[in-house]
Amino acid sequence: MDDMEDDTTIFSTLKSFKSLISCPDRSLLETEPGFGRSGLQNLYTKRVELEEAAERVRSHTSLLQLTQEKQQMELSHKRARIELEKEANSSSRDLQREIDRNRELLLQIRRLEEREEKANQALNEQMENNKALKRNFEELHKKANEKDSKLAEADQMISELKDETRRLNQQIQIQESKFSTQNLEIQALQEQLDVQRKKFQDVSQRYQNLQTSHSTSTESELKMKELERRLALQEQDSVIVKNMKSEVARLPELEREIKRLREENTFLRETKENNSLLREETEGLRRKLERMERVMEEKLKVELEKEKLEHELQAWENIGQSTGLNIRKPEDLSREVIQIQQRELNLKQQNYTLNSSIRSVEKARTELMPEIAQLRAKAQEEQKKRENQDSLVRRLQKRVLLLTKERDGMRAILESYDSELATSEYSPQLMLRVKEAEDMLQKVQTHNTEMETQLSKAQEEAGSFKLQAQMVTTELEALKEQQVSNAEKNTLATAEEVSSLRQKIEELESERQQLEEQNNILEMRLERHNLQGGYDPVTTKVIHLQMNPTSIAKQQRTEEVEQLRVECQRLRDRLRKIEAGGGMTTDDTTLIIPPSQEILDLRKQMESAELKNQRLKEVFQKKIQEFRTACYVLTGYQIDITVENQYRLTSVYAEHMEDSLLYASLTDFSLTVLGTDLHLFHQKSIPVFLSAVTIELFSRQTVT
Amino acid sequence: MSKTLKGITLKGSAELVAEFFSFGINSILYQRGIYPAETFTRVTQYDMSLHLTTDAKLKNYLTNVVSQLKEWLFDCTVQKLVVVITCLETNEVLERWQFDIECDKTANESSAPREKSIKAIQEEIRSVIRQITATVTFLPLLETACAFDLLIYTDKDLEVPEQWEESGPQLIDQSEEVRLRSFTTSIHKVNSMVAYKRTNSI
Repeated sequence: MDDMEDDTTIFSTLKSFKSLISCPDRSLLETEPGFGRSGLQNLYTKRVELEEAAERVRSHTSLLQLTQEKQQMELSHKRARIELEKEANSSSRDLQREIDRNRELLLQIRRLEEREEKANQALNEQMENNKALKRNFEELHKKANEKDSKLAEADQMISELKDETRRLNQQIQIQESKFSTQNLEIQALQEQLDVQRKKFQDVSQRYQNLQTSHSTSTESELKMKELERRLALQEQDSVIVKNMKSEVARLPELEREIKRLREENTFLRETKENNSLLREETEGLRRKLERMERVMEEKLKVELEKEKLEHELQAWENIGQSTGLNIRKPEDLSREVIQIQQRELNLKQQNYTLNSSIRSVEKARTELMPEIAQLRAKAQEEQKKRENQDSLVRRLQKRVLLLTKERDGMRAILESYDSELATSEYSPQLMLRVKEAEDMLQKVQTHNTEMETQLSKAQEEAGSFKLQAQMVTTELEALKEQQVSNAEKNTLATAEEVSSLRQKIEELESERQQLEEQNNILEMRLERHNLQGGYDPVTTKVIHLQMNPTSIAKQQRTEEVEQLRVECQRLRDRLRKIEAGGGMTTDDTTLIIPPSQEILDLRKQMESAELKNQRLKEVFQKKIQEFRTACYVLTGYQIDITVENQYRLTSVYAEHMEDSLLYASLTDFSLTVLGTDLHLFHQKSIPVFLSAVTIELFSRQTVT
Repeated sequence: MSKTLKGITLKGSAELVAEFFSFGINSILYQRGIYPAETFTRVTQYDMSLHLTTDAKLKNYLTNVVSQLKEWLFDCTVQKLVVVITCLETNEVLERWQFDIECDKTANESSAPREKSIKAIQEEIRSVIRQITATVTFLPLLETACAFDLLIYTDKDLEVPEQWEESGPQLIDQSEEVRLRSFTTSIHKVNSMVAYKRTNSI
């Protein structure tokens, strides 16, 4: 289209160009007739025009070209745009497709995520289930282990019990064997018993013989003892007789001694009385001696005192000489002392009065001081007033002078007036004025005199005040001099004392404070000590009952502790024994482990087995007894076992109990008679031989 | 009865104080749980309800001590009565209830009775026993098994009777002391205080 348009434009432009070309021609043509100046000019102009037209055409063509190019460009642009739009559309479509795909993918992802979550949850649940199952499994495992352990323990117990049963069976067997051996022993012992019985009978007979002989011997012994006693007595009697003889021989000597002793006795009694008298005398003398000694001591003391008193007296007498007073007796001394005391009292009174007067004077002084001040002030005021009044007086005097001058002047004037005027109408007035002036004068004079009197009074008062002030000052000075003199008198004596006393007071006060503080502290400590239960061991003691609850409780505690220790030790020993012995203990300890059912059953079995054993033993014994008696009766031989495999046969018809002729041993089937082997068998058969022996013995018995 | 109408004599005062100690010691034993609560029975005394032990051994012991104490109060030779509470495991003294007795020695058997009403004395005793009950709130708990002992502080020259012996004061190591009320019969004055072992907690 564009090309077509371009072509049409080209054509149009060509057409226009042609027209243009033709037009200038026409214009040229047209102009030709118009102008006739010069054809050159016209040509020139035409050429110019043509050139212009050509330029125009060229420009136009260039324009057209440009427009063409532009159109081409536009076309190309449009094409590109279209293509781009197409591409854009396609790309947008692709985009949308992609977006859709994206959405789908996202949805898928979400679905997958959900599935994943579900799967995870399922997984977690499965894990938890797994864990639970594992735990269960472990628990079951533990239970299984426990059961296994228990089973093992039970097995152990069973094995132990089996061992026990085996041991018990062994014990049963041992006991059975023991039983059989014991039976055999019993038989042997019975035989021994018979033998012993026979011996016993012999022995008893001999014993009786012995006893009879013993009795006779004892009788003879008794007789012997009696005889010996009589002998002894007789010997004693003989000894006594000898002693008596000796004593009798001593008798006269004793009598002599008795006499002597009696004499001595009387003598001693006399001397005893003398002794007592002498003792009393000595006691009396001793007491006198003591008294005399005491008296001597007192005398010495008294002499010493007398010397002292003499010294004192001399001193007292010397005092009179030393002091220069008229003293001969102590009365004078006392009188002097009294006088001195009186003087002292007087002086003290004077002192007190002086002090009081000083104080009163001081008070008066102090009281007068303000009065003085007041008076001074008043004096000053009066002075001021006087000065004022002096000044007033001077002013008044000046005024008076002025007034007098005025008066003189006025008088002069009046005189002049009077002189000038003979009779005037003004004379009453002048007279009035004169009177007034005179009145004024008088007033002024009176005023003046009053002022002068006041002045004089004030001056007198001031003078009197001055005098008083002077008097008071003189008195003050006198008092001050007195005070100073007193103080001078006293300071010499008392200044030192006062200062020392003040120092002492200060020290004592500080000490007192310190002591008070210490006292407080000690009291607090004591209170605290008392509260805590302390006491002064010097004044108090602490007691309590011996059987008090605390001691009883402590004792009980120690006992409990001891008991617990003992039990502990016992338990430890038990434990050790159990660990070492492995079960049963035969001491005072018993099994700690609670006996299980099996052990109880086994014990019961054991007891029943023992009972059975015993019963069997009894039964066996009975049976064997029966059997043996049956054998003895039926076969005619009593068969006893002496040694293992050796049997002793005793026949029924044996004459003596110990006539056991036959000894048989089963091992070698030999038969001995009284120690020698018997090889003679009746047809080498023992029973036949034995029966032959019985027949023989029976025949012997019946015959004898 | 010398203490009902005509005032307080020395003998009556000794009886009153001994009676107070008997009930006071029982109250302390009940409150501090030295003996189980079920071994105590309630009696009325001083217008209030007090606890008294029914344990025969304990009763016997208390009557022994109180009767001896009455004699010594009459002689004015006793200075203090102390209830010592010891822990049995560690043998440490945990509490001390101390009663100081001040005797007016001018009063003897034949002096005139003093003017003080029984009611007033009982009122004072009542307040002391109430205070003993109240102190339980701030005393530290006795968690271990404890036993008690009665100590008597007397004059040094007193003759010690047969069943009695001298002992130490059994003081508490690091104690806190609290003073309680006192009462007086106008012849005997009794001050009470309690000391307990300082607990090292907090």
